[in-house]
Amino acid sequence: MNITLRLAWRNLWRHSRRTWLTLGAMAFSNILLVFMISLQFGMYGMMIDNTLRVMTGHLQVQAEGYKDEHKMRQTVPDIAELAASLRRDLELERVAPRALAFALASSSDRTYGLQIAGVDPARESLVSSIPGLVRTGNYLAAGDAAEIVIGSVLARNLRVGTGDEVTLLGSGLDGSFAAAVVTVSGIFETGVVELDRGLAEVPLGFFQDVFFMEGAGHQVVIAARDLDEAALLTERTRELVADNPGLVVHDWDALQPGLRQAIKADMSSAFFMYGILVILVAFSVLNTQLMSVLERTREFGIVMALGISPGRLGRLVLLETALMGFMGFVGGAVLGALVTGWFAANGFSYPGMDELTANFNLPSRVYPPVAFLPTVIGPLVVYFFSMVSALYPALRLNWLQPVEAMRAA
Amino acid sequence: MTKQLQIVWTLAWRNLWRNHRRTLIMIAAVSVGVWAMIFMTALMRGMVNDMIRSGVENLPGHVQVHHPGFRDDPSVNNLIPATDTELAARLADRGFRAWSTRINVPAVITSERESRGVTLYGVDPARDRDVTFVADSIAAGRYLESIDDDGLVLGRKLLENLDTDLGKRVVLMSQDPDNDIADRGFRIVGVFEAELDNVEETMIFGGKRTIQQMLRIGDRVTEVAVVGPDYRDVEPLRRELARILDDDVEVLPWTELNTYLGTMLRVMDGFVLVWTVVIFLALSFGLVNTLVMAVFERVREIGLMLALGMRPVSILAQVMLESLLLLAIGLAVGTSLAWATIVPLEAGIDISIVGEGLEMFGASSVLYPELLLADVLLADAVVLILGILASLSPAWRASRYRPVEAITKV
Amino acid sequence: MTAVKCIDLCKTYRQGEQEIKALDHVDLDVERGGFVCLSAPSGGGKTTLLNAIGGLDIPDSGQVWIAGTRIDNMSKSELARLRLTQIGFVFQAYNLIPVLTAKENVEFVMQVQGVPARDRAKLALEILDEVGLAGLDGRRPAEMSGGQQQRVAVARALVSRPALVLADEPTANLDSHSADGLMELFVELNRNHQTTFVIATHDQRVMAYAKRLIKMLDGRIVGDIRQHEH
Repeated sequence: MNITLRLAWRNLWRHSRRTWLTLGAMAFSNILLVFMISLQFGMYGMMIDNTLRVMTGHLQVQAEGYKDEHKMRQTVPDIAELAASLRRDLELERVAPRALAFALASSSDRTYGLQIAGVDPARESLVSSIPGLVRTGNYLAAGDAAEIVIGSVLARNLRVGTGDEVTLLGSGLDGSFAAAVVTVSGIFETGVVELDRGLAEVPLGFFQDVFFMEGAGHQVVIAARDLDEAALLTERTRELVADNPGLVVHDWDALQPGLRQAIKADMSSAFFMYGILVILVAFSVLNTQLMSVLERTREFGIVMALGISPGRLGRLVLLETALMGFMGFVGGAVLGALVTGWFAANGFSYPGMDELTANFNLPSRVYPPVAFLPTVIGPLVVYFFSMVSALYPALRLNWLQPVEAMRAA
Repeated sequence: MTKQLQIVWTLAWRNLWRNHRRTLIMIAAVSVGVWAMIFMTALMRGMVNDMIRSGVENLPGHVQVHHPGFRDDPSVNNLIPATDTELAARLADRGFRAWSTRINVPAVITSERESRGVTLYGVDPARDRDVTFVADSIAAGRYLESIDDDGLVLGRKLLENLDTDLGKRVVLMSQDPDNDIADRGFRIVGVFEAELDNVEETMIFGGKRTIQQMLRIGDRVTEVAVVGPDYRDVEPLRRELARILDDDVEVLPWTELNTYLGTMLRVMDGFVLVWTVVIFLALSFGLVNTLVMAVFERVREIGLMLALGMRPVSILAQVMLESLLLLAIGLAVGTSLAWATIVPLEAGIDISIVGEGLEMFGASSVLYPELLLADVLLADAVVLILGILASLSPAWRASRYRPVEAITKV
Repeated sequence: MTAVKCIDLCKTYRQGEQEIKALDHVDLDVERGGFVCLSAPSGGGKTTLLNAIGGLDIPDSGQVWIAGTRIDNMSKSELARLRLTQIGFVFQAYNLIPVLTAKENVEFVMQVQGVPARDRAKLALEILDEVGLAGLDGRRPAEMSGGQQQRVAVARALVSRPALVLADEPTANLDSHSADGLMELFVELNRNHQTTFVIATHDQRVMAYAKRLIKMLDGRIVGDIRQHEH
């Protein structure tokens, strides 16, 4: 250990209580930052994943205008063929066609309006979690049978079970009256009330017959493994459909604009809070280092009289801060990771959280992942601002006059 | 003690300014902290209250009365036989003025080109004005004129989705109590605008008696919506209604009708407290540090005062008072700063860049910060009370010095 | 009547490995109106004895009596009251409270005693005048010379008219002119008010003023010389 470092270290412990308190402020903020950021990043990931996995997928091919207006006639022609060719060209299985319409569903007791999705029974489970959420009965069988799967709330409201018949009434692509009788093959439960109450799926071929679609549909849904792959797939799909006039490719951000903005809105309030914590720590460090410099005025006067330059003393003060900051960084990051780790194992929840998180497709107990970046980013910022706040006390030394300084009490 | 108060005050005040840099840094820290406590709270309050206000308006009402089976099965099979004259007599008797009997059923609306699933409301325009927003949000055309009005009022966004226009005809389909299709043609007479797209897309309004005839339900309704004096305190209203109405109806406050918003209101208070305490804890390290240093560098004088016969409790009081003075200045500055930054923003902050995200929360894209006296008092109380607790240790230590050791300490 | 009576006082300090006998079976009587100098080399026990007399330090064994009252078994608050009302202190340095002016420093003890503000101000100004600091009442310690600061300390020690004044090296930081001035002030007060003085010092100039000179070495009294009367 060189002499300056040893000096800095010893100076730090001249007022051990003060150093401990400053370290305490750093550690407190760091632990909080690590935990909050880990929780936040974990929740955002889950929010995106859970929201997109239900039905949206990571990207979709649609007719121009359909995304905003959802009009029946804004169709993708020959949708099954397009899906097949995309599957081939992208070398990706997770591509599924869909058609959508509003209709009335009637059982013997009740009638409700709902959204009907025509799906490819064999492919839908690759892009949507709904086939896996069938709690009673079975998901649609391959082929174009007159079958339907409905949400649990709708089943309750219609008072139907599997095997019961439901009549669908709506209007077809050409505006004519469309009607069909289907058998309930399964009932799914997503936990999202709007879906459980208002969504039903039928085989695509059957849908196209009933609603006079003539082979057309509304969405080709493509699911990626993660957001990076999604970006890549969006690029390639855009190239592939470029020569189909009237077709556009939307990525998940365009399909669910609320998602990223909800994250942004949440982030901006979170960053405001983090910023305040960091500022308060910076004040703490500024106070400590300024005190430590002021009370050593006499001592600094003596060493300066011996020929040590103010710049060197300034560096000593910065080195002391750096040492303290480093301890705060390591301590805060390690403790923060431990706290996060505990919640990663046991889950994090607060009273009322289940009601609030359900809106964002999140479970009522969150398990924040411990990851490198969320663990170091907060403490790093704290470290940086600690160093910035030590600049003033360090630079003050340049104005110090040795003789006056030595006379100071 | 009281007779020493003056000298304790003088000493505390002058000692506070002895190391003015340290004091100013600490005051700045407390001010920033207090500002952040109040500012953040006001923003969150504004957002949550806005969510709740529009949520309560959309429900509508602070308390709703339904058939006990309605919430689970919102259909025309679960009706209440509340005839207006009878109910009106009972409600008016109790001094309730803002209430409305309504019909609320799922339906499908079909234009020449499109169909959509919606919620159909059959309302009494005269009464509904008092409980919901629609009458005041008409952007084109007119609002319903009577319970026999055969026109339909729907949201701007739905109008676009249906590819139709004001004055055009649409068909509504729902079911009657015998599960026969109940349908009827309507002319669109009014278009309303709402803060949330979702409201514009899913809510449509017709005359109550017209809808009753279409659904073949006589003069029965699905719900009674009642507005009380304050949405924060609906329990008395609920209790009163439950008392005066028949036993075979369900009386529910909005907090249970919309659990998301109800929880939001509850969680909000908790959040404010947690946030305030977290900020204080971050401050407390600096505060204790400042006091410890202040006491440390005054050991000799404290010893001197003890030697001269000042009682230890006066030393304790002196350090505590110094800490309180510092906190009080910080609180005053921080609170005024919060006030000065919030008041100009009360006209509303446009945050539409994240508008659709906020809609996921159920909030609109203009944020109106709300400075509540209770929140300011909470922040001030937390800082003062916890500040006193944090100062106790250094102050106690100072009062425990032995005079000889303190004086001879170099 | 005896102003101070010490019986068989013992006090031992530990300093690292060593045990230091600061007071080793000390017996002492000081009559009312006495002017006593305790002289000893550094570590001779004079400050310890002074502190024991003032109730600042509790002896390991033995008794201390002030004006007929035993004080070594008193509680902290009783001792505080005793110091407040009967004893005036003048220390070697750091005598004054830095944030208070000369007048406020003098008023400090009275304020703690609860003397009404008007009486306080009058008494403080009178005594500052008496110690030769008229017109300097608004200055803070940092704005005064060492001699002036000690005079303020003396004024504070005397303002409540204590029967006993204890001074520990009062001249240590003073030039000889200031030291003489301070001692003459002590002598005058001793003569005019019958105030008892016990002064710990190793300053020859101070000893010259004493009526009685007590020499200490290694915690024991080794000499007790009665000198001239003033």
